[in-house]
Amino acid sequence: MIFNSASFCLFFVIVFLVYYFPLKENTKGQNWLLLLSSYFFYGYANWKIIPILLISTVALFYTGKKIHQTSDTKKSNLITTVGVLMGVALLLYFKYFNFFIESFSSVLTAIGITVNIKTFNIIMPIGISFFTFKLISYIVEINRGKIDPCNDFVSFSTYIAFFPTILSGPIDKPNSFIPQLQKKRSFNYSLTVDGCRQILWGLFQKVVIADNIAKQINPIWEDIPNQSGSTLFVTAILYSIQIYTDFSGYSHMAIGIGKVLGFRITKNFNYPYFSRNIAEFWRNWHMSLTSWLTDYVFMPLNIKFRNLGEVGMILAIVINMTTVGLWHGPNWTFALFGLFQGLLFVPLILSGSFFKKKKLKVNKYGVPTLSDFSKIAGTFFLVTLSFVVFRAETISQAYLFLQGIIDTSLFTYPNEILEAVKPALIFSVLLFIIEWYSRETEFPLHLLESKIKKRTRWILYFLLIFVIGTFMATEESAFIYFQF
Amino acid sequence: MNTIDILSEINEIFIDTLDNEDIVIKEETQASDIEEWDSLTHIMLVVAVEKHFKIKFTSSEIQSWNNVGEMVKCIQSKGV
Repeated sequence: MIFNSASFCLFFVIVFLVYYFPLKENTKGQNWLLLLSSYFFYGYANWKIIPILLISTVALFYTGKKIHQTSDTKKSNLITTVGVLMGVALLLYFKYFNFFIESFSSVLTAIGITVNIKTFNIIMPIGISFFTFKLISYIVEINRGKIDPCNDFVSFSTYIAFFPTILSGPIDKPNSFIPQLQKKRSFNYSLTVDGCRQILWGLFQKVVIADNIAKQINPIWEDIPNQSGSTLFVTAILYSIQIYTDFSGYSHMAIGIGKVLGFRITKNFNYPYFSRNIAEFWRNWHMSLTSWLTDYVFMPLNIKFRNLGEVGMILAIVINMTTVGLWHGPNWTFALFGLFQGLLFVPLILSGSFFKKKKLKVNKYGVPTLSDFSKIAGTFFLVTLSFVVFRAETISQAYLFLQGIIDTSLFTYPNEILEAVKPALIFSVLLFIIEWYSRETEFPLHLLESKIKKRTRWILYFLLIFVIGTFMATEESAFIYFQF
Repeated sequence: MNTIDILSEINEIFIDTLDNEDIVIKEETQASDIEEWDSLTHIMLVVAVEKHFKIKFTSSEIQSWNNVGEMVKCIQSKGV
């Protein structure tokens, strides 16, 4: 059940009505409703995976309590480690087990040992990468003394299974989310309207831009050898736009749905394509994952390696970014993607610009200065290059793709692909212009009432709805990040 | 060493490491109060404090502080 489907609309309208009418200001009742509807929503994807979610939630709920009751630091560290390992084991088993078996057997084959190891038929629970991260952060935060364990099992399991975010994040920290579940929530008109605007904006990104681009570039990826260098080059740029509008579109919808239910979900994107270096890019791209890994992977490593100076920091960042890559799934392409991203930090650390956070400068026309613009373009180029590896099914396919670009046909005009994606491309350019002028706000339509009059606002909404209705891709396609 | 003395020595370290002359820290100062103090510069501060007082913190100590006061207490607990 994806957000932009009729079945989700019906589901959400029912939840909304029960949530705000019979259960108005009844926090307990609302939490029960959210919990049951979240399990229904999750089970709708595959009911067989419900027990995995439930059992891991129960296990880590009690682990959290145990950590808090233990006064001996060594003992509570040990319980936390066991809890974290349980979460990691869950992830490793469902997501990476077959990958390990296959890699292991190919290593044995390479050194001349013939093996016949069978892989297992494991169902990959959708959303597992997201909810296990929430479970892990919950117990680590308790152990660090930053939060108290949640006493109410319903609130806790609603936090883990919250339907707007269970399939693809944003990954909320317990510190900011659980307290919201314990507060009274009554219908808040301005928050709801803002949520609806955010849903509308996300929908525009997803169905008008991402899906239309996907339709045109997916066949190209299936047939790389027969494409010209320029077509592949344009395809690579289009994929960067697709993955951004797909995932940020999804995130806007999730956050917007959260707002309608009275929740503040953590931000996931902050105009990443205006970043001037790779460190800035990762501060603005998939922010909830980056901040999770910064807290629980990068920082502990950085603390461990702190006496090694810059070398220690480089080591910490490369391990961290490779983890970011592999988090996406069991494929060497993701590992290479992460490693490449990590290595791009090296010159930044050595030159010291990793630590500086300078504001974007604009000239009198409101556009970036030439120096900033070239940095933005350079960062986009590096990101696009790495997304080729990310999108490819194998490393050799990525190699084939990049090799195809470096060809004399790079200087031909890629008429066919440009014609095919024309509307989506025009909307993409428009999107980036609107984003540029909205870059200080949460999302482009945020707090519109303070900026323009009611009538103009409504004209804008109808225009956007019209654009969505007219240009939306005819085939409904799942979000890229559902597979992670 | 008493809290005030440690605070004044740490203040110098903050000024040098974060490269900002205007920093004045108190026990209740948190990372969010000083713009230059983020997760990265935090580690640099820790290394500088360890060197200055010739002490060693554990990872969980470093991650448990919520403000400067807690850091000072931790320094005192090392016999400084």
